[in-house]
Amino acid sequence: MYQYNAEDSNFLVERVDQFEKQLKRHLAGELDDAKFRSLRLRNGLYMELHAHMLRVAIPYGTLSSPQLRSLANVADKYDRGFGHFTTRQNIQFNWIELPEIANLLRELSDEGLHAIQTSGKATRNITADPLSGLTEGEIEDARPYCELIRRWFNLHPEFSWLPGKFKIAINGAKLDETALRIHDLGLRLVRNSKGQLGFSVFVGGGLGAAAMIAAETASFIEVEDILSYLESTMRIYNLKGRRDHQKKLRIKFLVRELGAEEFSRLVDEDWQQTKNDSKLKLNLVELEQLKKDFSLPIKPIDLGGFEEKVDFNYSIWKNNNVRSHKVDGFSIVNISLTKLGAAPGDATSEQMRILADLSEKYSAGELRTTKRQTIVFPYVRKDQVFNLWQSLEKYDLAIPHQGTLAQIVACPGRDYCDLAKAVSIPIATRVQERFNDMKKLLDIGNLNINISGCENSCAHHHVADIGLLGMQKNGEEYYQITLAGETLYETVIGKKLGPSVSGENIVDAVETVVNVYLEHRQNQERFTEVFKRIGITPFKEKVYE
Amino acid sequence: MSEILQIESILNKEYESVDLVSFQEWLENIDKLSNLSVGVIIGPSDDVSLIKGHFDFIELIALDFNNFDDGRGYSQAYLLSKRWQFSGEIIGINAHLDQLQFMIRSGVTSYILLDSYIGLNEEDYANGFSICYQEAVNNSGLQQKY
Repeated sequence: MYQYNAEDSNFLVERVDQFEKQLKRHLAGELDDAKFRSLRLRNGLYMELHAHMLRVAIPYGTLSSPQLRSLANVADKYDRGFGHFTTRQNIQFNWIELPEIANLLRELSDEGLHAIQTSGKATRNITADPLSGLTEGEIEDARPYCELIRRWFNLHPEFSWLPGKFKIAINGAKLDETALRIHDLGLRLVRNSKGQLGFSVFVGGGLGAAAMIAAETASFIEVEDILSYLESTMRIYNLKGRRDHQKKLRIKFLVRELGAEEFSRLVDEDWQQTKNDSKLKLNLVELEQLKKDFSLPIKPIDLGGFEEKVDFNYSIWKNNNVRSHKVDGFSIVNISLTKLGAAPGDATSEQMRILADLSEKYSAGELRTTKRQTIVFPYVRKDQVFNLWQSLEKYDLAIPHQGTLAQIVACPGRDYCDLAKAVSIPIATRVQERFNDMKKLLDIGNLNINISGCENSCAHHHVADIGLLGMQKNGEEYYQITLAGETLYETVIGKKLGPSVSGENIVDAVETVVNVYLEHRQNQERFTEVFKRIGITPFKEKVYE
Repeated sequence: MSEILQIESILNKEYESVDLVSFQEWLENIDKLSNLSVGVIIGPSDDVSLIKGHFDFIELIALDFNNFDDGRGYSQAYLLSKRWQFSGEIIGINAHLDQLQFMIRSGVTSYILLDSYIGLNEEDYANGFSICYQEAVNNSGLQQKY
């Protein structure tokens, strides 16, 4: 498993030292609130409703067991025993005391963890398919590319003060688990007609009040040219992006205003000046080393005589939470952190330590995090899946609802976030209570519900089968419903169903939507397939009748 | 690459006896000012490409970094120094201590801090790291690792 070397670790410590000096100056009144805000955000630190929140990066969603234990220690020592796994491969701690931040970050840096650029108007944590390297048909494992690009834009002198935040996702797999076209910039690994490896580049995606799907600005950029192309994209954004309107800061507004074609032309014009600069070429020697560092720690095994255990509950869990691995003899196991009454994505320090221990026993000490706020064990021997399930059962971590609507994605909402307009977690709990019947959940099958507490759309409600957006109406909490968004097979922004629904009635409305789906479903059609076939009207008629 | 200079003040609009004019003033009086070898103050929203054909007549360029969150000056510095090879001084004016590392590495060759930073140790902020992860106009003594 890839780990930072001594130079990288030292860099993390130097960054903490620098931030600690800035914090001291701020506390001494030598650095004003506005500048300190800008600096603390670039170190992952937010001021939330009740306390400071720290967002720690989990680069490309890959964690080692010691790293997870380190996060558990932080949860105990500096938080209230919890961590919140986010939709973008980060973990957040919601109860941080400002004077303790430097010590906290130093402890994390011991395990190669950091909060650099997890917030602020700079390149954020670069996300990858959480199943990178594990599935059939993948062009390449995206993580070595994520790491090289992450490094390049780490405290980049020219692009650390952009008009708005800049989120990048990279996908090398057939299906898009990264939702790359709702990112500011998405890279898809592709091969051209000559078999050369490169990237298709998509720019200007994003959710929020104006949800947009990224436009393709280049169909094929050779691997070694990607840094110069990205620099040109950011240079055009840095110089021409909107800075005059708080709600139009993201690159998607620039792409929309210029038009994707003109934006691409400007990028290309700039890129022609730098594409042959040898100093901007991706370091292919380092890339090869990283590919070795990220190579799978398993070899195919022959489990000839192996027979799967027969157990009703195990079968349900396995059917939903376990998927096939490209390496013979292994499975990929998904562990849900969403359960009744708990905030989606929340894990206690005890759960983190249990997962760290189990990952060492069953998954080569490696874990992945996903945009559905789940934990993946990437290397479980097929003949050990049952044993793992038994252990998970013991610790109440074998919730068998992966992929079902009970596995809701929700932001912290108004319970924790000072931007939120409405609560998210209590709505998630009420929906789960309404569907708290495994037979019913299995009958409904794959269906996702995402709940965002405000237009910032941290829970990606636009791209869920059923999306709920919290808002205020006459001092009361209401929820706008969007239907049939998706990113896995293609990228589609969900359609607004109609007028928002009160918090009191929203769970009834969700149930009605599900019932309309079941009523019209043919064979094993997915929600989006039914929606495409019958349109929005049957849903609208039932919800607003 | 020029040494990093520290200039006490340009409030009197003089720098080694060079007159400084605003970008707008310079654009409106190109013919007249071209004979005087003036320095030009460029703000974040100014289109720096408009002066690239006139470098022979410009003694120095002052980029205004007063707005802490406005990062256009870094791209302006890069374009002037690296791409268009402006050989005169590129001064970062109204500079912030915490952004020196970004300014210098983007191509600024000297700077004038805002008054509020006087008395603080600039070295801590200009050279807080031992490595950097990317090619830059001036790596400022950092070992490059990527």
